Amino acid sequence: MTGSVPFLKRAVLPLAAVAVVVLILAPLRLNGYAINLLYVTVLSIALAYGWNIISGYAGYFSFGQIAFFGVGSYATALIVVNWHWYWMAAALAGGVLALLLAIPLGYVMLRLRGPFFAMGMFGMAQMVRVLVTAIPATGSGSGLFLPPGSGITEVYYWTLAICVGAIGLTVWIDRSAFGLRLQALREDEQVAATLGVETTRAKITAFGLSALIPGLLGGGYALYLTYIEPDAVFSSRLDLQSIVMAILGGLGTVWGPLIGGLVMTQISEALWARFPQIYLMIFGGLLVVLLIALPRGIVPAFAARFARRSGT
Amino acid sequence: MILLQLAINGVLLGGVLALSALGFNIVFGVMRVVNLAHGDFVVLAAVFAAFGFAQFGINPLLLLPLTIVAGFAAGALVHYALLRRLPGEVASAEASSLTLTFGLSYFLTGAGLATFGGRFVSVPYLTGAFRIGEVSVPQARLLAFVVAVVLSLGFALLLRSTALGRAIRATSQNLDGALACGVDVDRVRTLAFAIGTPVATAAGTLMSFLYNLNAQQGVLFTVNAFAVVVIGGLGNYTGAVLGALILGLTESFASYFMGATLAEAAPYLLFILVLLFVPGGLRGRRAA
Repeated sequence: MTGSVPFLKRAVLPLAAVAVVVLILAPLRLNGYAINLLYVTVLSIALAYGWNIISGYAGYFSFGQIAFFGVGSYATALIVVNWHWYWMAAALAGGVLALLLAIPLGYVMLRLRGPFFAMGMFGMAQMVRVLVTAIPATGSGSGLFLPPGSGITEVYYWTLAICVGAIGLTVWIDRSAFGLRLQALREDEQVAATLGVETTRAKITAFGLSALIPGLLGGGYALYLTYIEPDAVFSSRLDLQSIVMAILGGLGTVWGPLIGGLVMTQISEALWARFPQIYLMIFGGLLVVLLIALPRGIVPAFAARFARRSGT
Repeated sequence: MILLQLAINGVLLGGVLALSALGFNIVFGVMRVVNLAHGDFVVLAAVFAAFGFAQFGINPLLLLPLTIVAGFAAGALVHYALLRRLPGEVASAEASSLTLTFGLSYFLTGAGLATFGGRFVSVPYLTGAFRIGEVSVPQARLLAFVVAVVLSLGFALLLRSTALGRAIRATSQNLDGALACGVDVDRVRTLAFAIGTPVATAAGTLMSFLYNLNAQQGVLFTVNAFAVVVIGGLGNYTGAVLGALILGLTESFASYFMGATLAEAAPYLLFILVLLFVPGGLRGRRAA
């Protein structure tokens, strides 16, 4: 999509470099509240990028990627508490575990399509949550305490690194043959298969990547909360928020989740501060209005307008 | 005896679930829209009924006509003003209707919380039970079941024997065919949404006898309705009744034998298994 905006295309790399440097230096200057807000923003954007691969590029709309976030959180917490690993190593292990789970799960679930896949994944996430609650080692739903020590700054850098990695991965997917395969099966899976795309392998790879990213992020979130319980890490609110960000920005675009995420967190923060009573109402209503005004998302709408004006 | 008791509880719950799912099914069948705000209409009606009972002592059954009319108006408005304006030919049409109803769901939850507060409420109405031997039949559940069955039959009659009902069924079976036969599909869609919503609000009024609810519990009923419809076969109205009974029985037995926590997972497991192994639902055509 950025291809149709040549000016922006040239500006992307320098802009990105400046943004990353600013974000790396930010914790030195910010107070506790601001860095918390920044962490949550980067976290939701990274989650939105994770979701965008399977749902935006491959067209498999999932309501259950938060399951992998929860698995990553719990794996990290258990490893840190029982084996005393350094938390980033544990979070990495959590991400790998999420990926390993996603492969057989994807093999089964990706046979479903459309709303069936969406709600099937929702059910799957609920089942994983209930199972975690039922296992005694996880504190059976009453939660787990993590040893204090690692501050918000460490968690923030971990999350920022994954977010940048997820954006880089998306840029690569958007230009690669793999990305073309995903888009082909999004438009018409049978035709894609006829043309020689190994649809099952492509789908499962995309699903795995969309599980790895939340899996890696989950560990940081566990450290951030220092106390985790199933409802906090299998948070349907976090899940849905990241989905809305990706759609609002532009489904299956490189910059959609970033733009959507920035717009959403700003709106949501401003509303929360001013109208806590009717925050949910305004938020929901705004989403509906934005969707009708920009059905394909902010990035495609902007790109189309720019292309029209410059006559290309 | 306990088995019989569990079966009775399950069937009574199934009746109300069937009514709720009927509304969801009409909307999905005609428009291929998974209405994520379905459960919020159910819950809002339930909380409204509890509020009316607690504040003014109004019998919830007297509120039924009001909730049905209000649901019809709200449904017509939502489709006419919002859903209809989504472009249909965009590749992400499915995604945008999901997102739109998701936003609507937040809106309704927020409106419910702002109006009625976050306390869990229910209607303590007909709290007694009929005893037959060792089995007891809770009166409120029985009443909810009977009203749900009557309303479901009413809607079934509407779908079966009126011109509008035929147009609705034609549109859900074959869009192009319906268009070719001169069905005003746009109007049918608005009316289908306008009929699906009062079914949800009527079910919600009855749910206020069975559950302690606040405005945030909507997602529970959206998922229930989806599960029922998937089990029974999409767009298949008799199949949905079967699905509702199976789901009601599963919830009843699972919560007794597996404990409340694990039982929460039972409906999800059930509908994932059905999706994977009986993709068209138990009585449906193959899923499109």
